Amino acid sequence: MSDQRSPRVNSARLPNYLGQTVRLTCKILKLQGDRTIVQASDGGEVAVIQLSGKSALDPYVEIVGRVEDAQTIKAMTSINMGDNLDMKLVNDCVELTHDPRFASMF
Amino acid sequence: MDTEFTLTSGIISRLIHAQGGENDLWTSGPTLQFISIKKVPSTSSPVDRYRIIVSDGEKYTQAMLATQLNQMVTDEAIGRHTVARIDKLTCNVVQQRRLIIILGITVLGKASDKIGNPDNIDIPIAVANPTAAPAPAVAQQPIHQAGAPRPQAVPNNRGPVVFPIEGLSPYSNKWTIKARVTQKSDIRQWSNNRGEGQLFNVTLMDESGEIRATGFNQAVKDFYDKLQEGKVYYISKARVNLAKKKFSNLPNEYELALEKNTEIEECLDQSNLPTVKYNFIPLSNLESIEKDATCDVIGVVKEASALGEIVSKTTHRELKKRELTIVDRSGYSVRVTLWGKQAEQYEHHDQPVVAFKGVRVGDFGGRSLSMISTSMMNANPDIPEAHALKGWFSATGSTENFQSHSNAMPSVSSGTFNRAEVRTLSDVKESQLGQSDKPEYFSSRATIVHIKADNISYPACPSEGCNKKVTEGADGQWKCEKCDRSYEKPEHRYIMSMSVADHTEQAWFQGFNDVGLAVFGMPANDLVELRERDDAAYNAVMHKATCNTFNFSCRAKQDTYNEQTRVRYGITRIMPLNYLEEACVMRDLLHSDWAR
Repeated sequence: MSDQRSPRVNSARLPNYLGQTVRLTCKILKLQGDRTIVQASDGGEVAVIQLSGKSALDPYVEIVGRVEDAQTIKAMTSINMGDNLDMKLVNDCVELTHDPRFASMF
Repeated sequence: MDTEFTLTSGIISRLIHAQGGENDLWTSGPTLQFISIKKVPSTSSPVDRYRIIVSDGEKYTQAMLATQLNQMVTDEAIGRHTVARIDKLTCNVVQQRRLIIILGITVLGKASDKIGNPDNIDIPIAVANPTAAPAPAVAQQPIHQAGAPRPQAVPNNRGPVVFPIEGLSPYSNKWTIKARVTQKSDIRQWSNNRGEGQLFNVTLMDESGEIRATGFNQAVKDFYDKLQEGKVYYISKARVNLAKKKFSNLPNEYELALEKNTEIEECLDQSNLPTVKYNFIPLSNLESIEKDATCDVIGVVKEASALGEIVSKTTHRELKKRELTIVDRSGYSVRVTLWGKQAEQYEHHDQPVVAFKGVRVGDFGGRSLSMISTSMMNANPDIPEAHALKGWFSATGSTENFQSHSNAMPSVSSGTFNRAEVRTLSDVKESQLGQSDKPEYFSSRATIVHIKADNISYPACPSEGCNKKVTEGADGQWKCEKCDRSYEKPEHRYIMSMSVADHTEQAWFQGFNDVGLAVFGMPANDLVELRERDDAAYNAVMHKATCNTFNFSCRAKQDTYNEQTRVRYGITRIMPLNYLEEACVMRDLLHSDWAR
């Protein structure tokens, strides 16, 4: 259980983590039954399946889930992030965590 | 090196012989050479004047340099043999000779020698309009020494030809100016041991400059209603006096007194109206202006506070005030304070562009601006800067975040949070800030680790503005020594000693009431009462107050207490964190060169 990594990603980085667990901070665009369309911090759209509707979802959420393919994530859990989030800051953060300078930290 | 200069030959002759009505002559911009420049000490004013012999290659004549151009001589921008285009000039008549007054020039260069072989134009002129009114025997222009002539400014008939305000002096008395009233004061009554009366004043402006005009008693009745702000008038036959600098901060040596025989006529000619001349400073540059200096700014009013009232500490009179927050394209915002009637009459609910002229710079909270009696405010002026600002604001400006000169956010000067001067606590201690005699300022982000619990507040005098400690008397009343009054209950005020730390070091900071309010979230009175009433709840509050992080602006200063000298850090400002802003700062830092 200690090896439960979930790096934070945006839509562009999804292909690097196929089959792995990631975190996606995003804005909910459309709720279509089992499929939710969200916008990642770099603006790209991602489909999230099995995002449970049990708890109310804020406009901004962070999804922890498994990357099915380059455009789809199967959600395991979600965290509400309120209704006001600076997505540019989030994206900068995502990019910085992948920056080779800080590889030792992440 | 010796470029060929072409002087406007024959112009001197034409200027000297011109009769009224030849306006173009005075704006034609002739090219002349300065044969010599001589300083002439002025008998009536502290400002020196320069007499220049100007030549057009054929003739030469005397000219005086307008005082606003004096700098050019002292800077040696102009000198002997300089060739220049005279953009603006006028002339006075002295001893039946015409004297050119040079108001504006463009230097073309310096010739190596005198061009041509000009001789003196020296011819007494036939004066076109004899003086109708009795001309007093006035001492003349402070250049020539003899006689008492009748100075008449020649291109000076009523109608299209007017005198520039800059050219006014006590020695010319047949002049007319065409000027705009840029500011009119209220009617003021005065009474002193010499008598009493009423007065008002106006600021008049044309392209050459500004001058103040004052009307007393009868003049108030005659002219107060006639002169309206923003309108242009022809004014003549007012007395030109030396300016009383105490009452005005206009840069003119002289001022006008409106008298019984002063004539004021509204100018209905819409062309050539003098417009207000602004010299706008972008708000980001306000730090470079000294406190108490005046400047002009233009910005969009992002917010306007409600009308407020304060009691002046000096006069104990009520003053109405209103604060406007203006922003401009430099990305900065600043607070402008309006007073009295202007504050009351401010009725703009939209976000107008307002141009301010002559507002005083203060250092409240960094930098602030205040309207003074000679300031001018013009909402939505019809000038290009205003249009550009309006366009910018509706496109992007309204959503921008501005750096403020008057708030808790990043800026310069003591007392505000200077983002660029953030130090870690170890840096503060190692740099020995505050060890010298002068107080030094710094900013830090730190977390409260411990609050000294034994003394967090003191009983203070409840009267407005007095925070002196009050002592409890035998009768249970609290006495204030300063106000010499006793009170039922004191107003408790916080006084705190806190241990704060960041990732590098720990330090002890001292704070007063505002710090306590931010840290505990309740007024000192409430906390003191809680302490007496419910110990457990009080401890909970104290506990909750620790481990909070704030941005601090501090002053480090040496303090001697019982023979021990230590550096003490006083908190001038405590600011709760805006996480978004802090995160952005950190992100920017990671993107900057520092992180490479």
